[in-house]
Amino acid sequence: MKSRRVGITTTVPVEVIYAAGCIPVDLNNVFITDPNPGGLVEEAELAGYPRNVCAWIKGLYSTALRHRDIRTLVAVTQGDCSNTHALMETLELIGVEVIPFAYPFDRDRDLLALQIEKLMDRFGVDWAAVNGARERLDQIRRKVWEIDRLTWQENLVSGWDNHLYQVNCSDFKGDPDAFEREVDEFLARLKGAGPRREKIRLAYIGVPPIMDDLYDYLEERGARVVYNETQRQFTLPFETEDLVERYRLYSYPYGIFYRLEDIVREVERRRVHGVIHYAQSFCFRQIEDLIVRQRLRLPILTLEGDKPNRLDARTRMRLDAFIEMLQ
Amino acid sequence: MYCGVDLGSRNVKVALMDEEGRLEFFKFDTVAFYREHGRLEEGQLAVDLSALLPAGTKPRVVVSTGYGRQTVALKGARVIPEIKAHVLGAVHLTGLSDFTLLDLGGQDSKVALVRGGRLIDFQTNDKCAASTGRYLENMAAVLNISLDELSRHHQNPVDLSSTCAIFGETELIGKVLEGHPIGSLAAGVNYTIFKRIRAMLLRLFSDTLVFTGGVAQNAALREILAKELGVRVVVPDHPQYTGAVGCCVEAKLGSEK
Repeated sequence: MKSRRVGITTTVPVEVIYAAGCIPVDLNNVFITDPNPGGLVEEAELAGYPRNVCAWIKGLYSTALRHRDIRTLVAVTQGDCSNTHALMETLELIGVEVIPFAYPFDRDRDLLALQIEKLMDRFGVDWAAVNGARERLDQIRRKVWEIDRLTWQENLVSGWDNHLYQVNCSDFKGDPDAFEREVDEFLARLKGAGPRREKIRLAYIGVPPIMDDLYDYLEERGARVVYNETQRQFTLPFETEDLVERYRLYSYPYGIFYRLEDIVREVERRRVHGVIHYAQSFCFRQIEDLIVRQRLRLPILTLEGDKPNRLDARTRMRLDAFIEMLQ
Repeated sequence: MYCGVDLGSRNVKVALMDEEGRLEFFKFDTVAFYREHGRLEEGQLAVDLSALLPAGTKPRVVVSTGYGRQTVALKGARVIPEIKAHVLGAVHLTGLSDFTLLDLGGQDSKVALVRGGRLIDFQTNDKCAASTGRYLENMAAVLNISLDELSRHHQNPVDLSSTCAIFGETELIGKVLEGHPIGSLAAGVNYTIFKRIRAMLLRLFSDTLVFTGGVAQNAALREILAKELGVRVVVPDHPQYTGAVGCCVEAKLGSEK
């Protein structure tokens, strides 16, 4: 029998879903790799989604609508975007079963443990199975951590590849074995490769970009992203076997001040020259830019992305000026 | 002879600089420039500059910048980022090295912080052109006055929102209906520009504000900026050619290296 596909709206403890023999599907990745992601955004608008709502949410809605084999969705109701609430409701309207998952704002361990246990109840799995899944996934995560290390320490990896392998750790592309083979092949190809020559080292912080040509554009101009903040967090880069602690250390769903601790540490360690702070149009995280600007002592370019999938002329002009400024 | 070309949204501005630094300026309507003088060659815009400029003009180096360069690269020209061009031009034209640069063009608003003659931070407008030349032209047309007349008024402004360049017209018509004098209406329009750029200017504040771009010709706005921010406002001669001059400076620097 084919395994049940379970949609997710951002990184959740996928160990639980895998332990239940189900296949997690990160709807973000399905949306953005669609041949016409812009069309998906338009479909949601035709269905009644407002124009001034983040394109990611609209893309997720249409993606869920398209993939009717996904009848269950784990949605992050706290710690991600509050628009997810309405996304859940509109999907419930069309018969999708929604399982809410909330990251506690204050990173409270007991509350987080309770959320994970409730998720385990819904999927009918115990800790032994979940920890078994974690061990399997950690084997792959460690290899992706190595890709990240090779990015900033050995200068062997492009910003896009760094983004891609890390971002795919949210669901392991629904097939950990196949994804691991991809990772292995990529690592094998890096052996013997010469170091990259971009002089300017950049950090990319914020949610993953809705446009996919950002990294190439930067590299054509002699700058390379050596730190993708959120994407790296999706790999849960913390050496602990305690699953609850793992998702408590995971910075993305918690407040900006906790996220900044990771950002400050990494930009220092990776000898970054400038920071690109990406915020999606209409996202509450745009407000946090003022905190980022006060706390980081590095040149910052704030980028706003709206529709998929290419950089617009204004954004390119701003990137040009920023790179020029760092030279 | 060095040639700087600023491919703007409304006009293409060309500056020529001779070895002694003497400047000459030329302006062309952007659409006419592309349609009549340009042709695409291998994805680049080929323009016969010698046909457009005075006879015998033979620039050693051509440097270009501007919004247009995102769609077309000028053939045979070295391209530099717009904000860099404006900073180079502003430093050259004013002789200043520490200031905040405000450039308001046809569609764009840019604010840059310059220290020691170098760009250290910048902001640009979001996806709205409600603080630019095109907006002022539209509002002057609604009031049926010239841009010159519009730029004379900054006293007793009517209160207008500053969120949309197009809905602003309807709002202005409402104020006309209320019977406000033309001076207050015009002052209200000029104030909307200030309101939209105030936050950017405060974030990148300096005691001296160098104001460039076509909108810098608006005397009322210069008054408003000086009064509201308590800064010295410096407008170079021919402020709309600042980007083109910056390109000449870059061309000269490049060939001296």
